[in-house]
Amino acid sequence: MATEESPQVTRRATRSYSASNTAIESTNLPESYKPTINDLGFRQQPLRLEDLLSSFPGRRSQILELLRLLGPLNSPMFPILVYGGPSTGKTSVTLQVFRHLNRPFIYSSCITCYSPRILFESILNQLLFHRKDSGHSYSSVKRCERPSDFVNYLREALENVLTNLKGNSGKVSSKMSGRPDGTMVYLVFDNLERIRDWDKSSTILPFLFNLNDILKMPEVGLIFISNTSPDTYYLNIGYVEPIPLYFPDYTEGDLRHIFMANQTNSRLYASFLDVVLRPFCRVTRQVDELAAAFSSLFKKYSEPLSDKEVAPNEEMKRRLFSHIRPHIASALNETFQVRSQPLLKAETNEETKKTNSSRMLGIREDFDKIDFHMSTSAKYLLISAFLASRNPATLDASLFDSTGVSDSRKRKRKASEKSMDQKEMAEQELLMKGPGTFPLERLLAIFQCITSLAEDSLDEEESHELTVEGGSRGLMSDVLLQLSSLCNANFIIKGGSCPLEGSTRYRTAVSEDLALKVARSLKFPLSKYLYRR
Amino acid sequence: MGREKEKEKPSEKALNLLRSRLSDPNFIFRPLSDSPDSNYSKLKFIISTSVTEACNNSILLLGPRGSGKVAVLELVLSDLLQQYPEAISVIRLNGLLHSDDNCALKEIARQLCMEHQLLFSKVASFDDNSQFMIAMLRECGLAHKTIIFVLDEFDFFAQGKQRLLYSLLDAMQSVNSQAVVIGVSCRLDVDQLLEKRVRSRFSHRKLLFLSPSKEDTERFMEHILSLPMDSSLPHNYAAEFNGRLKKILSDERFKELIDTYLSFNFTIGHLVRFLFQAVSYMDLNAGFLSLGNFKTALSSNQRQLKLESIRDCSVLELYMMVCMKRLEVKEQTSYNFYSVMTEYKSIHDSFQTSDYYAANVCLRAFEHLLQCQLISFIDNKGHNQSVEFRPVKLLISSAELHQGLKSYQQCPAILLKLMDR
Repeated sequence: MATEESPQVTRRATRSYSASNTAIESTNLPESYKPTINDLGFRQQPLRLEDLLSSFPGRRSQILELLRLLGPLNSPMFPILVYGGPSTGKTSVTLQVFRHLNRPFIYSSCITCYSPRILFESILNQLLFHRKDSGHSYSSVKRCERPSDFVNYLREALENVLTNLKGNSGKVSSKMSGRPDGTMVYLVFDNLERIRDWDKSSTILPFLFNLNDILKMPEVGLIFISNTSPDTYYLNIGYVEPIPLYFPDYTEGDLRHIFMANQTNSRLYASFLDVVLRPFCRVTRQVDELAAAFSSLFKKYSEPLSDKEVAPNEEMKRRLFSHIRPHIASALNETFQVRSQPLLKAETNEETKKTNSSRMLGIREDFDKIDFHMSTSAKYLLISAFLASRNPATLDASLFDSTGVSDSRKRKRKASEKSMDQKEMAEQELLMKGPGTFPLERLLAIFQCITSLAEDSLDEEESHELTVEGGSRGLMSDVLLQLSSLCNANFIIKGGSCPLEGSTRYRTAVSEDLALKVARSLKFPLSKYLYRR
Repeated sequence: MGREKEKEKPSEKALNLLRSRLSDPNFIFRPLSDSPDSNYSKLKFIISTSVTEACNNSILLLGPRGSGKVAVLELVLSDLLQQYPEAISVIRLNGLLHSDDNCALKEIARQLCMEHQLLFSKVASFDDNSQFMIAMLRECGLAHKTIIFVLDEFDFFAQGKQRLLYSLLDAMQSVNSQAVVIGVSCRLDVDQLLEKRVRSRFSHRKLLFLSPSKEDTERFMEHILSLPMDSSLPHNYAAEFNGRLKKILSDERFKELIDTYLSFNFTIGHLVRFLFQAVSYMDLNAGFLSLGNFKTALSSNQRQLKLESIRDCSVLELYMMVCMKRLEVKEQTSYNFYSVMTEYKSIHDSFQTSDYYAANVCLRAFEHLLQCQLISFIDNKGHNQSVEFRPVKLLISSAELHQGLKSYQQCPAILLKLMDR
């Protein structure tokens, strides 16, 4: 992967990436690497308890409870369900606890394993020490689609692994040889809530929750990790619930500890957190969202300082606070926005040239620019789709007549109370119903009207120049291809078919802000065409 | 470098012992099955008479989940296998896995092949497998060998056309076969689900598994948690452990605790899970069980889940929920994101709150609420509408929301005022 210059973008290691043992040692393992039983445990240095507790601030009681429920070596356990909001540390705590205990485990996440077959095969691959490589054209060791086959294969594979482990436990102490401890195998199922959206969820969820009873092997421990609480799993048949372990969201004090870790200039960052932590916590308390918002804000905060290593005193803190204050409100409204690459690069280039005052203008300008590329015909198509969804079909004739834009100003009458009520009801209805659907022909008709208008204005400006290409031909080509790309990008949604005619209908999915931005980039007067009740 | 083997503390050994006991269904249900009129004895009698007298039989074991149906069955089967080693072969099917007829017959054929050391072919068709099964039944009948079919989660087999049940029961009607069909289910009315032709071939024997009486429960707890005196544990440690345990079990507060737990989850399976949790919380340094362990286990089972979810929300999400509550109070039955936003704006205009954020931030808060299942879409069919326009409903009552707001740290006073209106 090409190295990136912009310092803001750091690649967060995904969980399966850090859980897989291959990633830890070096960048690339040779293709012919054959996994062995040692791969069932973490292959890094084992972790002491104090290190484990200190690397997860605010999670002390949960870690201790998890350790107690897992129990001493070779002690059977009941299934556990670890649940809590997103980004509260459930997966990382579970994995690091297994690293501390140095016991063999199999990890599978229901995000990467998005169907039952992939889930079963991934578990079997790990248990049978099979790695997908180009030699077998990336196939799994066994084809397994149904739960009945899975149980049979799982039993066989587990017997093999357990005899292997039992044989090892009699030999040299495992701390020296890097082998995992004990004679039990633990299965960790992450992101369990995704299974609810699968087609086969009504058979797979009861199967997983009853897996302990079906297998009847005390040497297997089951741990489920879920983003939603246990009462969101409704099953008809009932089951003895797994033991719940709750991870509450972090408090503000814990968030402060988390963000203060690994900071080079801790006093400066502490004063920064004093300013921004409280207002941002009112919006969200998730660590990943706050981290993204804070990283860019911290750069702005430490701008006036020439020396980034200095510890600020009171007067400096006040200056920095007054510098950052106007930016906080706008940053709050952009909390969840992830800036795309070209815009970030443009910003870093522009900032070196602009002065302080125009930098404020620069921020406002960015709001008006769209930060992705679209061809001109795609932009016109998007605008036509927006108009088609927004305006009722009967208005098309008057808005788009051949003489150009008609003046749609009606005589303003004083609105009576009844009509105001009706207007309110109509507005509410519009809010509830959302954008309307339109057939393909209407979209193309509007598109042709708009683009012909655009060429007219283009021709007026450059009438002396002979445009060889002919604007209309350039814009009309491949319209259907553009339409399908817009559908795939979710700008236009393909709805159900009209019951009378049988043709498919489309619906726009962009907000008015985005449509206005696109229109502004084309210098198209969108507001004149919008129907306002 | 010599091996360093830590001397296992007696408390650790005791913990291991108790945990393995609690995870072993055989150990749990054997003492409960000692009396002559228990289900164990009845079941054993029925099966052993079918084996010795070479007749067919069918029986249903019914009871709530965790009452030990399969555990008692396994005890009976293991005893009978010891008694008549050559005369019994057991086929186990599970409704969760094998409710499809093809699957079930394949599994039956596979298990029969494994028992009798025959080669099993994975590509055999449905007809091949069923003919194989009928042939095996006849052969075993001629050899005076009983095949016992255990059908776990019987209600799943009673869905659909019940082909498997019919073919099994029909095959039993022929003179030569010797088979016992045992159905295990949590639904007490599962025999009503059977078709007429299946029901007529089914003998209506049912064994009900009910929860044991209070004295039995107490005796059971004492038996299962006491350390044995003659094991490798030091004698005085075990004696003191048992003494303290007796004191806890006779404590009034403990009895209240157990009553509270059992009023919600009254089967042995649930009780064992509770005891497992309590035992895991045992303090290894002190080495003895305490009443606090049981209290912690009870409180971890009595969570108020929606309240926890509300406490995990941020202030903006609380605002959105209060807006939805107000919309409901105004008799607007269906609302979507944009109607909630208009309500939010009107609150901001009338009260001048400091928490007014842009639409994209609120949309993210809205999606977070959807993820926690505090609100949900009204129907699942509207996939061709974006998230902002689909109608949603609140999944918590106003009382729960009120309670959640009160227990929320630093809840803005305005929200409480709005809820009180």
